[in-house]
Amino acid sequence: MNIKRFGNLKFFYNSFITLFSYLPILVLIGFIAGIYWSLFIAPIDYLQGHSYRIMFVHVPAAWMSLQTYVVMAVSAFIVLVWKVKIMEIISVQCAPLGALFTFIALITGMIWGKPTWGTYWVWDARLTSELILFFLYIGIMVLYASIQDKRQAVKVTSILSIVGLINIPIIHFSVEWWNTLHQGPTVTKFDKPSAHITMLLPLFYMFAMYQVYFILTIVKRIKLGIIERDSQSNWIKELSK
Amino acid sequence: MILDTLKKDFLLFYRNKTSILLPLLFFFLIVSIFPLVLGPDVNLLMKIMPGIIWIISILTTLLSSHNFFYDDLDSGILDLYLTSKVPLSSMFFSKIISCWVVTFVPLLIFLPIISIMYSLDAFVLMILLITLFVGTPTLIGIGLFGSLLIISLPRNNILLPIIILPFYIPVLVFAADSISIASSMHIISPQLYILVALLVLALAFLPYLMSLTLKITINN
Repeated sequence: MNIKRFGNLKFFYNSFITLFSYLPILVLIGFIAGIYWSLFIAPIDYLQGHSYRIMFVHVPAAWMSLQTYVVMAVSAFIVLVWKVKIMEIISVQCAPLGALFTFIALITGMIWGKPTWGTYWVWDARLTSELILFFLYIGIMVLYASIQDKRQAVKVTSILSIVGLINIPIIHFSVEWWNTLHQGPTVTKFDKPSAHITMLLPLFYMFAMYQVYFILTIVKRIKLGIIERDSQSNWIKELSK
Repeated sequence: MILDTLKKDFLLFYRNKTSILLPLLFFFLIVSIFPLVLGPDVNLLMKIMPGIIWIISILTTLLSSHNFFYDDLDSGILDLYLTSKVPLSSMFFSKIISCWVVTFVPLLIFLPIISIMYSLDAFVLMILLITLFVGTPTLIGIGLFGSLLIISLPRNNILLPIIILPFYIPVLVFAADSISIASSMHIISPQLYILVALLVLALAFLPYLMSLTLKITINN
């Protein structure tokens, strides 16, 4: 199979129609199962009681918010260097999804913070950098929306998202230095994770479900983007008949 | 080449002296408005004055960098830069410097006078001046980069802050940190070195990014 065919928008559109038509229901069932697992089967936390269970929604969303940014910036880089059409659409469509994940992470974190820290919001390093990540996504979306010439808009937002990728570690490092109250990393410690395996398994399961949701949604959005982008071409006109 | 562009920009600003006075007046007005809002408590004002100065610096940066390229765009100079053989990045490097000089050098000179109104400690004032000296060029560079991103749009005053304010945060955090350490412990903190590092990073990469942006936004 020729990899260059993925640059062809029509080929990309057609190859995902059959593959993804039944997936939304599976993802929904998977999410319900994951939430049941994390709410009822996973053991209760010794310190935080039941309130820790929001972690199973919160932590994967926070991971996904970063991952989506990396996907967006990498495809933005490909747009600027190799000018692959499909990557233009991917880099644009990642921003709303990433903003959604960031928003979920922020909201669930606030809900968790009330019983645990006593307030909904503290100006802690991780919360602040997540909030700034949200602003970055919003800025990229606003910039793309306000430029009328969409070919130019894609390139300009690509530059902005690459600069943002360089800036994210600096921002994180700076606010880390500034103030830290958030609990340290519990999963990615080098020696041994401090969470028990019965808690980690549903967490990773939920993370996998988020990944599937991300792929599913991004493919849907890409298809919409293809229609938007290629709306003047013949094959789309035939499709709409 | 860099010197020529600088000379031209300074000459333009010299002929139009209000453009230097306006940021200064803006700065002075907002500094005087804060005590009216927060109350005349000297201790409180002394404590928050460096933060206020930094916030006003950001506003000044946004205003001046937003308008900086529009004259060049209207008179067609940006198109000429694109077609000339001189590397664009060196031109933008000098633009960052000239924009910073006309915006912030008058301000840095007048800051000691303003700080008397807030009865600021001399050492803290020195640290504040140093952080402004190494921090604001980075802000100006990012602001000019952001204004190039949106230069093809109809003039929109609120878009630029939304896009580039997240990028200002590292500079702000390190500057505020070193000022608060200076005012509590009377030492020069290592955060200042990081501010310098950010400045070097910005001056090294932003001109290149700006020339890339200009090629995309003007060519169409």
